[in-house]
Amino acid sequence: MKKVRVGAGSSGWPDFKDGALDVAQNGDIDYISFDHLAELTMAILQHQYAKDQTRGYIPEVIPLMKSLLPIWKEKDKHFKMCSNGGGANPPECANQVLKLAQELNLGGIKIGVITGDTIPLSRLDDLQKEGWKFVNLDTGVDDLKNVRDRLLAAYVYTGADEIIDAYSQGADLVIGGRLSDNSLYIGNFMYPLGWQFTDEYWDRIGAGVCVGHLLECSSWSAGTCSNIWEQIDYPKGNPGFPIAEMYENGDCIVSKTDTSGGAIRVQTLKEHLVYEVHDPENYIMPDGICDLTQIKLEQIDKDAVKVTKFADKSRGKPRPENLKLCLAYNDGFISEEITIVCGPKVFKQAEKAHEFVLRRLDHLGLKPREMLWSIIGWDSLCGPTVGAPPADYDPPEIGIRVAFKCDTKEEARACRTECGHLCWGSLGVGAGFTNPPAIRPVFALYPTLIPREAVPLKLEIKEVK
Amino acid sequence: MAKKKVKLMDICYYRSGDKGDISNIGLMARNDKVYEIIKKEVTPDRIKAHFKDWVKGDVIIYPMDNLNSLEIMMYQALGGGATKTLRIDQTGKAMGNGLSKMEIEVDEDVLTTIT
Repeated sequence: MKKVRVGAGSSGWPDFKDGALDVAQNGDIDYISFDHLAELTMAILQHQYAKDQTRGYIPEVIPLMKSLLPIWKEKDKHFKMCSNGGGANPPECANQVLKLAQELNLGGIKIGVITGDTIPLSRLDDLQKEGWKFVNLDTGVDDLKNVRDRLLAAYVYTGADEIIDAYSQGADLVIGGRLSDNSLYIGNFMYPLGWQFTDEYWDRIGAGVCVGHLLECSSWSAGTCSNIWEQIDYPKGNPGFPIAEMYENGDCIVSKTDTSGGAIRVQTLKEHLVYEVHDPENYIMPDGICDLTQIKLEQIDKDAVKVTKFADKSRGKPRPENLKLCLAYNDGFISEEITIVCGPKVFKQAEKAHEFVLRRLDHLGLKPREMLWSIIGWDSLCGPTVGAPPADYDPPEIGIRVAFKCDTKEEARACRTECGHLCWGSLGVGAGFTNPPAIRPVFALYPTLIPREAVPLKLEIKEVK
Repeated sequence: MAKKKVKLMDICYYRSGDKGDISNIGLMARNDKVYEIIKKEVTPDRIKAHFKDWVKGDVIIYPMDNLNSLEIMMYQALGGGATKTLRIDQTGKAMGNGLSKMEIEVDEDVLTTIT
């Protein structure tokens, strides 16, 4: 049966570079994909691009390609690569990679550059005039007018169509912007296996969406962030990245190289199949909808798991008519500070400091929109689920973290400097303090939908001979 | 059979993440018997009571019989979402650990079935 080997190259920015290089060097792969973008990264990159048109892409792409391209040449240019590291500026990212390819004297590389996922804000107004409703997916309400004047960026999670086009035009490397994490993999299954966006293939595309999900967080499917982390071995300190051997019927074997650490177990994959999927019968991606309740995992070797059908039902459904559009808007500023309280009676000291700070805010007339007081060493991660500390529990030290959200940077700074300086004046004897992180602007997200046909994606092939 | 209180961490694995202000927890039963128990015992009301004011919206639970797992969605659960929240855990990666502290009552012999 026809098959293709696709490796994970990156799950975000930054990720372990040696994981990707190991997959390229030792994974016998035909394709490798690089996701560099988190939910908010595009807003930051668009902000950079607006200020300086030579920026706005993920800078990490260049050193990564500097290490990767020689391996690609050594492997007779056998594998193809796909990346969303172009961010808000794929053409410039591609230019830099082309320059690098020339410096490395690689003798020809073709890059497919995909643009058009960034939507001009005026286009949103036009679509609204044409009657389109931008319903907020978090709240179910169209209240875009409330944030319209604070909008910073608009970007669409796009699918695999242009990736497939790029490969069919001979691209060795595809660089795009907000290509969805999942589509970076789907394109690598669909093009070589000849799958189409038609009824005959939704089951297989569904299976591909599932496997793309398993690969897109790289080392997370191979033991990092696992419940069985303590049992997982990293003899050389290098993580394993998953590799999918996808067959043309949609069945797949996920494994990793012997040269890497980590593990591929039913457990490590299961953990990822339940991660951030929401309704598991309808895991919606731009290229198809996967029914994750129809997936079966089976250990077939030490570091190999077979991913097949659970029952005789389709693993996939037709792709959605609309694409996800993320709108980022300004929503004030956050300041924070951490102070370490030294025992004895750490919780009593912290309680007293909390009371002191609240009175002081009131006394100075400072009114943060939100304030969060948490105790590192007790409730900072799990909040109210931990309850109150037992009366006889007095650890040698705890951390106090206080965070404020305010409309302006000045207010955020005032809250922190006046009330956050717990180490100087708001605590008893012996407190240690840390350098507070910079006051950060809040880029809030308004997730919504946009009709597929309203997104003018463009593919261009760039080449050095 | 005698009943015993256990924490979910004794009988399940978990991984959690986010999408906007939605916290999402995959709760994986460690065997078939435990899966039948958590399907009955882990309810939206109990989850909301466990997280108190950290989960302000609805809780929806989807069963995944193929993986002995529950997919738990908690709305308005991350203090506004990754980019707006004041919490240290901006993307809710520890919300699963929070859930794992929840206690349920099980038949005494269930713990002996966990490998």
